[in-house]
Amino acid sequence: MIQVSGLTKTIATPTHRVDILKGIDLEIPRGQFAAIMGPSGSGKSTLLGLLAGLDTPTSGSIVLDGEDITGLEEDELALLRGRKIGFVFQSYHLIPTLTAEENVLLPLELSGHAAGGVERARELLESVGLFDRRDHYPVQLSGGEQQRVALARAFVVRPPILLADEPTGNLDTTNGHMVLDLLIALNRREGTTLVLVTHDQQISEQADRRITLRDGRVVLDA
Amino acid sequence: MRNRLSWTTASKIAWRESRASSAKFLFVIVAVAIGVGSLTGVRGFSRAFYGMLLREARTLMAADLSLRVFALPNAQQTATMDQLMQSGVRRTWITETLSMVSSTTVPNPLLVSIKAVDPHVYPFYGEVKLDPPGSLAHVLTADSVAVSDDLLLRLKVGVGDSVRLGGQPFRIVGVVASEPDRMSGSLNVGPRVMITREGLGRTGLMGIGSRASERYLFRLTPGSPGIQQVRQTLQKAFPESLIADFRETHPIITQGLNRATTFLSLVSLIALIVGALGVATAMQAHLQQKMDSIAIMKCIGARSREVIQIYLLQTIGLGLAGGLAGIAFGSVVEAAFPPLIARYFHLQPDLHWDPSTAIQGLAAGILTTLLFTLPPLLGIRKIRPGVIFRREMAEVRPGWKQRLRDARASLAAGGAILCGIGLIAGWLQIGTLRDSVRTGVVFVAAVVVSLLVLSGIAWLLLRSVRAFVRRWPRLLPASLRHGVANLYRPGNHAQAALVALGIGVMFTLTVFLVQRGMMAEMFKSAPPGMPNVFLLDITAKERDPLIALVRAQRGLEGAPDVVGTVAAKIVSIDGKSIDSFNLKAWGRRFQRTRGVAQAADQPAHTAILRGAWWNPKAPQAEPQLSVAEEAAQILHLHPGSHMEWEAAGRTIRARVAAVHRIDEIHMYGRIEFIFSAGTLDGLPIIYYGGVRVAPRAVAQLQRATYEKFPTVTVVNVADVLEIVQQVVDQIALVVRFISMFAILAGIVILASSVAGTRFRRIREVVILKTLGATRKRVAGIFSVEFLVLGAVAGLMGSLLATAFSALLLKRWLDADFRIDVLPNLLCIVLTALVANAAGWMASFRILGQKPLEVLRAE
Repeated sequence: MIQVSGLTKTIATPTHRVDILKGIDLEIPRGQFAAIMGPSGSGKSTLLGLLAGLDTPTSGSIVLDGEDITGLEEDELALLRGRKIGFVFQSYHLIPTLTAEENVLLPLELSGHAAGGVERARELLESVGLFDRRDHYPVQLSGGEQQRVALARAFVVRPPILLADEPTGNLDTTNGHMVLDLLIALNRREGTTLVLVTHDQQISEQADRRITLRDGRVVLDA
Repeated sequence: MRNRLSWTTASKIAWRESRASSAKFLFVIVAVAIGVGSLTGVRGFSRAFYGMLLREARTLMAADLSLRVFALPNAQQTATMDQLMQSGVRRTWITETLSMVSSTTVPNPLLVSIKAVDPHVYPFYGEVKLDPPGSLAHVLTADSVAVSDDLLLRLKVGVGDSVRLGGQPFRIVGVVASEPDRMSGSLNVGPRVMITREGLGRTGLMGIGSRASERYLFRLTPGSPGIQQVRQTLQKAFPESLIADFRETHPIITQGLNRATTFLSLVSLIALIVGALGVATAMQAHLQQKMDSIAIMKCIGARSREVIQIYLLQTIGLGLAGGLAGIAFGSVVEAAFPPLIARYFHLQPDLHWDPSTAIQGLAAGILTTLLFTLPPLLGIRKIRPGVIFRREMAEVRPGWKQRLRDARASLAAGGAILCGIGLIAGWLQIGTLRDSVRTGVVFVAAVVVSLLVLSGIAWLLLRSVRAFVRRWPRLLPASLRHGVANLYRPGNHAQAALVALGIGVMFTLTVFLVQRGMMAEMFKSAPPGMPNVFLLDITAKERDPLIALVRAQRGLEGAPDVVGTVAAKIVSIDGKSIDSFNLKAWGRRFQRTRGVAQAADQPAHTAILRGAWWNPKAPQAEPQLSVAEEAAQILHLHPGSHMEWEAAGRTIRARVAAVHRIDEIHMYGRIEFIFSAGTLDGLPIIYYGGVRVAPRAVAQLQRATYEKFPTVTVVNVADVLEIVQQVVDQIALVVRFISMFAILAGIVILASSVAGTRFRRIREVVILKTLGATRKRVAGIFSVEFLVLGAVAGLMGSLLATAFSALLLKRWLDADFRIDVLPNLLCIVLTALVANAAGWMASFRILGQKPLEVLRAE
């Protein structure tokens, strides 16, 4: 369960201040698939980043699974991410120097649960259809394949919450569909809460709920 | 918080991370290897040569340590020496005395200086060369002697003949062609007669009251206590003795060794800092590229300490790999160079695998790698996971308190780096703990000052370039403008590059300038025309004809140098009788008659330490006097002191005007008191002369002098001086060679520091090309940037090097300094060219880069 209340985010450049989020209140129950939509600059990605603890809000609070994350230190946030959050980026962000399998394995190793991790990683690579390419480096994989590896990596620690930032934004339609189908299937199978940022109307239609932002505020929640 | 990441897993991740990007890592490893290699290479090489030089110095004493006593040792003192012997310190006893030798062929007996040795042990180093060739241990027995050639000449005898000494017959078994410790012995009057201790016993010369000089020579063995410890033990047991170790055998050697030691340590340190610079730039560039990977790791749940753990392991691995490669590289260089320059070397240095140098190099390599990666490693904590998510996630500018808190880690890291460098520098210093501490502190101070000055100048320079281009944008052609503008564009770390390059240039040029200054000084103190034959006891009447005779000789290499002395005795100092002075050991010489001289002008090669030399033209109210440093110290003399002397029944009162120091190699150096001209007029003067003669012509000079002036003693030190000259020449050559190596390493590091910016440049090229720049245009822009960067770094480096070397030469090496324009100019031009070449080496392939490949990877 995700609870957001009174969330604001302001950034300051030497010349002026920009209010990116102007007070967001949200509640996403466990297991729900919520799509966040809105035009460029509406604050979608910032909201997602704050939910993942990748940045700190200017004010307001975020409670994940009953734990308020707003006052947490950088390292505590990292621990929390390792335990509770899977993240899928628009540009995949695999570590270029690691093979597909090693990329998937990495979160387990970082959280000290590497035992039995290889099987889990291979099982996930199998389910995204890349078992045979597990020894390939990111540069040897196409965009769609890289994103599928990123999906496997996001699910490897069985996170209760999965956050995805336009996961199909860099992919063609066929690959986009494939990745999305996988994401939703894995989400159902693992029983995670899924928050997905997208521009794509078609994708949002598959979600349980659509939250639309404009100018840093929620303008539609259905 | 429990650390979840085990070291095994961390090292596994670190290994995987490095395996895939082997090409980039190779660069880092090479940079570390060059640093460590130049350190171990220079260090091993200088150690080997230092050892060789010390061995040479030892031969001048024929031992490691010499103890001169004025009375035979008592039971307790003998026990101390025996204890030393049990701990592995070998010793031999040498007695020198004067006596008369006679032969059947010449009516008058001859005054000779006798040296009794144990031929089976003596000399510990070097050898006594005999003619006909043979070993002293084999030929010298209780009833035979070896003599110098002038004895044969004066007594008209030959090898195999018999002479009488103390009434006993001795057979001459050979001519002493050279004797290693001839200079450090005493009583160098008259021809040499070398004899065994049993032989000396037979003569009965050593009765009670006989005047002899007793010396003990010591040789340390690998298991024995160190020289300092042995020295202290002896000092305690023999408080009234004169103890010298091999480093003090000859003033030129002592000075040469000291300078060489300091210089070689300095070069090692510089090799270290230059190497560390390479390591630092390589690691910085490496971690910069890892920013994204680090951010991703943080996104998927890694804490900073875990990421630091991974990269720390990787750094150690790189340091280790580079260190090992560097040691291999260093030993190849160390081994490969001496044969190349073998024909210039008289002696081969003893090159062997020295694990301590290797370990030191490895440790220094890993330590510098770690130290210099500390800031980027600590910087990992500041990399926010959001970087990959939204690059320009600017934060509200934190308050000064926060900024100070943020800077704390960086300041601590900086402090740690400086302490680390200081420690390494101190560790590398050859010498005592105090030397090490001093070196460490001085070195750190030099690094800090140069860093501050360089950063300041770089900042100022970039500011003014920027102001110039902004104010008059159209004054420069487009390529030039862009090239210059490249220097201050955000993201181009021109200031850092300038500082790195500048420091590299500074250190490299310092080595060169110091080397030049030191060489000039060394040749000045051991000039080729230094006398190698001394003529003693010349009367006033003999003086001019003798000079004429010497001048007429063949093989003369310099004009004879003659000093007149008067035998005089100190009566009192500032009214206090000399007999009431509590003088010890060698200091007692001042209570006896001494040879003093007079001079109008300050003799050449004299340094006035206190007071001032008198004006020879101005009339003096009372006689003036200049006193040698050591005498002044023992007798507590200072400018203004009054001395009363007595010479040939005349009393002389003089005021001390100056305290001076003269290199002992000059004739005046042997005289401790020099009066103003006219003071000694009318007193019986005995002259001493020195002349430089080709070694092969010395015998002829001796013969000619003896025939015309039988009372003049000729002392031949040509063979000894040849060793001295050899040592000096070798030091010079080694120093030149090693500095060349340091300079070469400096150039390579300069190249790599420019190459370190390669990955940033790829983006720049791509963007420029995307915007329509041709290859030629891009090349032009880059060239301007590199050339300006190099020239400015060269200028800053050479200015600092000039200041730095002036300081080192004057304060540390006691040498003169003068500004040398040509090397500085050359250095600036070379740095610009090297920076340009290095820039191009690193960017050549980038120029052909297809923009899309790079942009797609963004």
